[in-house]
Amino acid sequence: MKCESCNEREASIHISKGDGLEKSERFLCEQCANASFENDFSYPDDTFNIQKLLQSLSQQPGLHQQQKKPLQCGTCGSTLNSIVQSGKFGCPDCYRTFEARLPDIVARVQANQTEHVGKIPEKSKEYLKTKRKMEQLKAKLQALIDTQEFEEAAIVRDEIRALEKAGEDDGI
Amino acid sequence: MEYKNISPWMHDVKEQPVEMSTRIRLARNIDHIPYPHMMQNSSGIEQILERLDGVLEEYDQKDMADLKFEDKALLVEKHLVSPLFTKQGLKNYTSEDESISVMVNEEDHLRIQAMGSCQSMMDIYRKANDIDDRIEHELDYAFDERYGYLTACPTNVGTGLRASVMLHLPALTSSKRIQRMAGNLSRFGFVLRGIYGEGSVPLGHIYQLSNQLTLGQTEEEIITTLDELKQRIIEEELEMRSWLEDEHLLDVKDAVHRSLGLLGHAYKLSLNEAAKCLSDIKFGIDLGLIEHPHFHFQKWIQLIQPAFIKMRLNDKEGTYTSLEQAVEEERATMMRYLIGGE
Repeated sequence: MKCESCNEREASIHISKGDGLEKSERFLCEQCANASFENDFSYPDDTFNIQKLLQSLSQQPGLHQQQKKPLQCGTCGSTLNSIVQSGKFGCPDCYRTFEARLPDIVARVQANQTEHVGKIPEKSKEYLKTKRKMEQLKAKLQALIDTQEFEEAAIVRDEIRALEKAGEDDGI
Repeated sequence: MEYKNISPWMHDVKEQPVEMSTRIRLARNIDHIPYPHMMQNSSGIEQILERLDGVLEEYDQKDMADLKFEDKALLVEKHLVSPLFTKQGLKNYTSEDESISVMVNEEDHLRIQAMGSCQSMMDIYRKANDIDDRIEHELDYAFDERYGYLTACPTNVGTGLRASVMLHLPALTSSKRIQRMAGNLSRFGFVLRGIYGEGSVPLGHIYQLSNQLTLGQTEEEIITTLDELKQRIIEEELEMRSWLEDEHLLDVKDAVHRSLGLLGHAYKLSLNEAAKCLSDIKFGIDLGLIEHPHFHFQKWIQLIQPAFIKMRLNDKEGTYTSLEQAVEEERATMMRYLIGGE
């Protein structure tokens, strides 16, 4: 008789387990029998199975594209469906292409977190600084226009242009 | 000969009970280039490689295409690259002491990894962070104000940081408390799982504790929490050990000495058996039940891995009919020599 577990070696050990109500019997080889007595601490490896998590998302009606042609990433050709199926974005630009759906996807695998608070690369720091300054200047410009202070406004406008030009030179 | 292929950084590691090595991994990508699984051709990545060759000039640079199967397997067993990387990776850069490894085209364009032992997790993070800064200087990372570092898989987005520490937990394993502990940890967004093998009990009772979440916390916060949880697990393991010592001393002694005998005298050893015996001996040494002048759990656990053994067989240039048997025989020969059984 072959071992019930490996189906290769001869069964040499008869294991009978029971608690009075249920009884189970197995005929195993020595190796498999020993293994069956080892402590089993295996955790389900896919406690965090991202594919399954995301696939259930695709079944939500809101995620189905309304347009005839589904939205597609211009850089890598990914669609929302392909991303959800593979559990991976196709390229960094996908994050921009599918921006509207990101909170759903990201929050789901990141315990509802949606904001990065960690390291910022030096280059992005510069960019973010410029961007913030630009926003401030534009707000100031609007305020000056609203109060009809055109001389001041012209100065601020030039500052904005200079900042834009510097940004272009830096490739930002 | 005995320690051939072991990473140089590991030679200075002074062993301690429970805690083994720490690994920090950063996932980074280059903007506007498809992730490795979507890459149609290597045109974009070639430029990246050229730049990296310059930035990491002093590193050992290996084209994966030039490596044989067993060379790649050895890199995996040394934890320098991942199994996925051996299938699709393009190039691997390693520092001289092999404590830093940069993988090109793993799941992300770049995976920066720093390893160490007997030093704080934050110090190891800083090593990885320095390399990250150097690379960032030369390449345009995909970064978003809101989502941070844009990774192929949303489970890595944000910091792209995976911090992990290897722990030797024989007492928590045998007392079966580890399952509940793993369940509790997952609620904090951390995972505890066996590092080697798919079997029911992890090889050598070695587990890896790592963070699951990468968004919404700073690198420092992730590392500090991981450090605290690590301390807690170490305390529980030590508590469990003294309980075992108090209540089951004869069984513990028997297991430790039995394993010492096996490794000192066996002529054939499977990976599983060797790992279990090494774990028992480490346990015995930690408890002060036995002493051994050269015993080094972290190094020896690597030496018994299949690719390490195959390399030894290659060096010996002997002939054999069954590779499997030759590996088991060589593993036992090596262990007899290291333990000094004969």
